Amino acid sequence: MLKIKSITKIFHGKTILNNVSLNVERGEIAVLLGESGVGKSTLLRILNNLETIDSGTVSLDDKQLDLAQINQKHTIGMVFQNFNVFEHLTVKENITIALEKVLKKSKQTADEIAQRLLAHYGLADKQDKYVSQLSGGQKQRLAIARTLAFKPKILCLDEPTSALDPLLTTHVANGIQELADEGYIILIATHDTALIEKLNCIIYLMKAGSIVESATSIDYLQHKNAYPQIKAFVEGVIV
Amino acid sequence: MIDFNLILLYLPNLLSGAWITLQIAAIGCTIGIFFGTILGVIHAGKNKLLRWCVTVYVTAFRGTPMLIQIAAAVLLLPQLGIYISDFWAATLAIGFNSSAYISQIIRSGIDFVGTGQIEAAKVLGMSSIQVTRYIVLPQAIRVVLPAIGNELITLIKESSLASTVGVMELSKQANYIKNRTFDALTIYFAVAVFYLILTTLLSFGVHLLEKKMRYHAEN
Repeated sequence: MLKIKSITKIFHGKTILNNVSLNVERGEIAVLLGESGVGKSTLLRILNNLETIDSGTVSLDDKQLDLAQINQKHTIGMVFQNFNVFEHLTVKENITIALEKVLKKSKQTADEIAQRLLAHYGLADKQDKYVSQLSGGQKQRLAIARTLAFKPKILCLDEPTSALDPLLTTHVANGIQELADEGYIILIATHDTALIEKLNCIIYLMKAGSIVESATSIDYLQHKNAYPQIKAFVEGVIV
Repeated sequence: MIDFNLILLYLPNLLSGAWITLQIAAIGCTIGIFFGTILGVIHAGKNKLLRWCVTVYVTAFRGTPMLIQIAAAVLLLPQLGIYISDFWAATLAIGFNSSAYISQIIRSGIDFVGTGQIEAAKVLGMSSIQVTRYIVLPQAIRVVLPAIGNELITLIKESSLASTVGVMELSKQANYIKNRTFDALTIYFAVAVFYLILTTLLSFGVHLLEKKMRYHAEN
């Protein structure tokens, strides 16, 4: 189980995250829902050592994680909002470069891992193309494949559907659900309310750096009135 | 009129000068690119002290004439106990001058790459050196290759300043032949052709490199 306990982040005197705590079991999806600037992405960035924390702890299966070393251990992976694929490399090289340079895998092993992942994500025929030749959805699948090549236990997705049409959103949601079913712990930062209807997840509504309400997506969809703040956000009501 | 017989007569001198010019240009370019890249990476980095040092270096080299820098190298180095030939003193001055300009070109290329891909590489566990080597520099250099090509062409032409400290490169040879023949027009025409050949070859090389690095889709 991933335990995020009392995370606080202050930046230039402004509290970005205020005592945020949440637990996510293996195979669960936690959706951090909220407007832009409430700290959702910051929390994911903290988990991936792209930001430091002022206080709080993160543990996995009751072992505290050293976030400063988290990238070298590959416990957590991140798929960015803009995918951040490497523009100068081919699709296959986007996956193999870190396997070869960081994990010191042989070229042959790295190629095999990349080809297996690309086949799984329907990109096998694109492996020698440059990423500028991919569509937005293909770039996202590549970004997920690149992250999964390291077999992280926790997968963070920052606004995974912000640039996608409704059909692709459904495809992405199905893909995320499959990953959860495989046992990944998944954290998603999003303001896309359509996504929570497509996932079996726990919704954490964030406001001004704090979690103000939470519910499972099934419970929320069946008893919307029991969760007035989530309902107001989903329906676009200013509270 | 251009006296082609005169050019043929002094062709060995011109070729000897062109060979020296080529050596100055090649060594100067190597120093400029190698040192300029390191300085550019440092200047785009986060260490304030190192960035300040690079700023001072760039300001000094860009803000003073290369002629003075060459003279300083020839006159100052022996006083510091460093005894090298005038050729090497002039070539080092030219190379380090060029590195100041190239560092700023590289820095602008690094800025172009942006933080997204750098963060992605960091999350994948790459070290800062690996991120720079495998992600940032290949893209930065591709973007700034035309500007680097221009800088290197300038370097070839400015290598003629080595003649001021007695290095027998192309311009110095031209002066020597002119003083003997008094046919400045013919000799400067020949020298201009030599420089044109050198800069055209370099332009062609940069163009080939640009084509090779043009990896973006041409759907």
